[in-house]
Amino acid sequence: MRFFSLLIAVAGLLCAAPSGAFAKINVFACTPEWAALSKEIGGDLVDVYTATTAHQDVHHMRAKPSLLAAMRKADLVFCSGASLESGWLPILLQKAGGPNVQQNTIGWLMASDFVQKLEVMEHVDRSMGHIHPEGNPHVHLNPHNIPVIAEVLSERLFLIDMNNADAYEANLSSFKSKWEKAIAEWEERGAALKGRNVVVYHKSWSYLTDWLGMNIVASLEPKPGLPPTTAHLESLLQSLKGKEIDAILIAPFENEDAALWLSERTDIPALHLPYTIGGSDNADTLKDVFDETLSMLTKATP
Amino acid sequence: MSNKLLLAASAVALLTTSPAFAAEDVNLESLHAEIQAMRQAYESKIEQLEQKVETLSAQQSQTAAQVTAIEPAAGENVPPATSKRRVSDNSFNPEIGVILQGKYQSFSETEGEFAGFAIGEEAERGQEGFGIDETELNFSASVDNLFRGSATIALHEHGGGTEVEIEEAYVETMALPHGLNAKAGRFFSELGYLNSHHAHADDFADRPLPNRAFLDGNYGDDGVQISAVLPTDFYSEIGGGVFRGNDFPGGGADGNDIGSWTAYGRVGGDMGDNASWRLGLSTLQVDGAERSANEGAVTFNGDSSLYIADARLTYAPTGNAKDQEIILQGEYFYRDEDGTYNDTDAGTGIVAYDDNQSGWYAQGVYKFHPQWRVGTRYSQLYAGGVPAGLAGSALDDEGHDPWAASAMIDWSNSEFSRVRAQFNREELSGDNEDNQIILQYIMSLGAHGAHPF
Repeated sequence: MRFFSLLIAVAGLLCAAPSGAFAKINVFACTPEWAALSKEIGGDLVDVYTATTAHQDVHHMRAKPSLLAAMRKADLVFCSGASLESGWLPILLQKAGGPNVQQNTIGWLMASDFVQKLEVMEHVDRSMGHIHPEGNPHVHLNPHNIPVIAEVLSERLFLIDMNNADAYEANLSSFKSKWEKAIAEWEERGAALKGRNVVVYHKSWSYLTDWLGMNIVASLEPKPGLPPTTAHLESLLQSLKGKEIDAILIAPFENEDAALWLSERTDIPALHLPYTIGGSDNADTLKDVFDETLSMLTKATP
Repeated sequence: MSNKLLLAASAVALLTTSPAFAAEDVNLESLHAEIQAMRQAYESKIEQLEQKVETLSAQQSQTAAQVTAIEPAAGENVPPATSKRRVSDNSFNPEIGVILQGKYQSFSETEGEFAGFAIGEEAERGQEGFGIDETELNFSASVDNLFRGSATIALHEHGGGTEVEIEEAYVETMALPHGLNAKAGRFFSELGYLNSHHAHADDFADRPLPNRAFLDGNYGDDGVQISAVLPTDFYSEIGGGVFRGNDFPGGGADGNDIGSWTAYGRVGGDMGDNASWRLGLSTLQVDGAERSANEGAVTFNGDSSLYIADARLTYAPTGNAKDQEIILQGEYFYRDEDGTYNDTDAGTGIVAYDDNQSGWYAQGVYKFHPQWRVGTRYSQLYAGGVPAGLAGSALDDEGHDPWAASAMIDWSNSEFSRVRAQFNREELSGDNEDNQIILQYIMSLGAHGAHPF
């Protein structure tokens, strides 16, 4: 029995090996962070398409033609999930997605399915604003989530392309050891941030603040998904008086006007954190994103 | 025995993968040892593989469980255990979405006839005063891993009455390879840009003139449509369908035959990070239609061929449409008809007709604030020449080309609500100067599907 399966495996290798160049795995990554992680684990064996940039609000994208063309080729769809991409991903999947990238297949990887989500809601109502009942989808900002997701990713790559299993495993373990070291360093630098208070634009930062033990005391949006109003900002201005707030956090895709307005009147610095790869000039890798975020936060909280 | 087989397989393996190796003096002993090593390596690999498949399937069922059994976040109010209990019959209920639409319309003219065109009832300008036209109820869900189904029931108002209409009821494939898709049932065909969209997704409170005159708002018929997204670096898609031929511009189909067919081709892509575009060509061919128009006064019998070219461009700084965006869109229509017209109001009798009409619209919408948009649109129709027998009938434009100009402003509190004000100036016939004011709300309850580009 064992031997028979061995024979099949050898035969399979024989068929695949002589052709030498196994076509690269096409990864359709919804956001730059998942694209970067795909390259870390897949190396040269994957071709990665990044559907959005750091300056685009993923929630407000459209199922535009270029995305359909990219989805047509995808062997693996790698996104955040938890409804973050619900405005466009279902259409891409229906129109251009192959049988191997449909929901509940090997080629469908939603990062938030594999980590402990924050802000999971039992009872939801649209009057609460734009909320995700499945939980907050911005999971990549807790660095402890990254290796968990990387492991799932390497398993998926392994199942899609078994010939290169060793490479994926090697990439995973070298990434993990690199990452563990980085986390230790970030946590050492970030220890002073514990208990500090910040104001955010949208709940894009929950995983970051949860990791660092910081508190989000207010959102510039009156309700999630609704743009800041003058009335809401005025009331924030009053309620924040006398409180010790270290920073207002803005993502690259968020309008900075409201944050600057509040910053001017309160002397709380408005921090343009990178949020993801490409979110600032120096944020070229996943590690850069956290390096820079930590530097900016620690600088703002002397 | 088994070793011999293995030896043979491995020999083939070595021969095919590295021919140079075969030339060497092969020592049987060492080869045997090597095969043993290979065998061990693969056995452990297979074990690993089995283990991974197991972990993965465990993970997946765990994920599924997580999705259904919502875990309370640590530290937050933990609901009583009973509230976690799921009624299994409900968990497979389809997604239900309701679009509530309401309008208040005011027109300065009492008539709104299109010079040179015989139109269907959805093409009319609607009724004055308050109304809940186009309120719709949608059910949709995955049928299984291969199919998805959707049904949309809509309210339509004409002639002072409200009709309940099955606007769409179709199944479509989810997981066909090679970018293929099939759709069957009743649905809005892929024709031009607007036709496949529901009215609630439009940027204006009414459809532009050519969509009203040539497609009666939407062409939605019973049939089958196949499409394929092609494996090109830029976006390209082709498709087509066959239909009963009963919806305007068809009509009178007895269902024994294929009454109409469609075909389309599209390309699209990005220009940098900021802009996206799409261009398309499509056709709708109706054979042997018996179409009734102008509230039954005009009948057309014959073949009708419609050709549409459409273009759409979106632009947003850094491609982030959340705060600011410009959308430009236009379609050109050309219709060639060969058959007979009979206008009973004008008493023309049955008159042979072989001519063409055309029309176009162009529109621009500017989102200048996350919640506010303004837009403007111009649409124009050109009726064809008419044979002498149809002079003075609805088909006679009497030297006037219908046109309409619109301006709108809308406010969306969230992505689920929109309130709009629109002003139209329509000059649809020679002595007609219709100033229209339309106030509208569009609200979405429950499931709200994603919108295409």
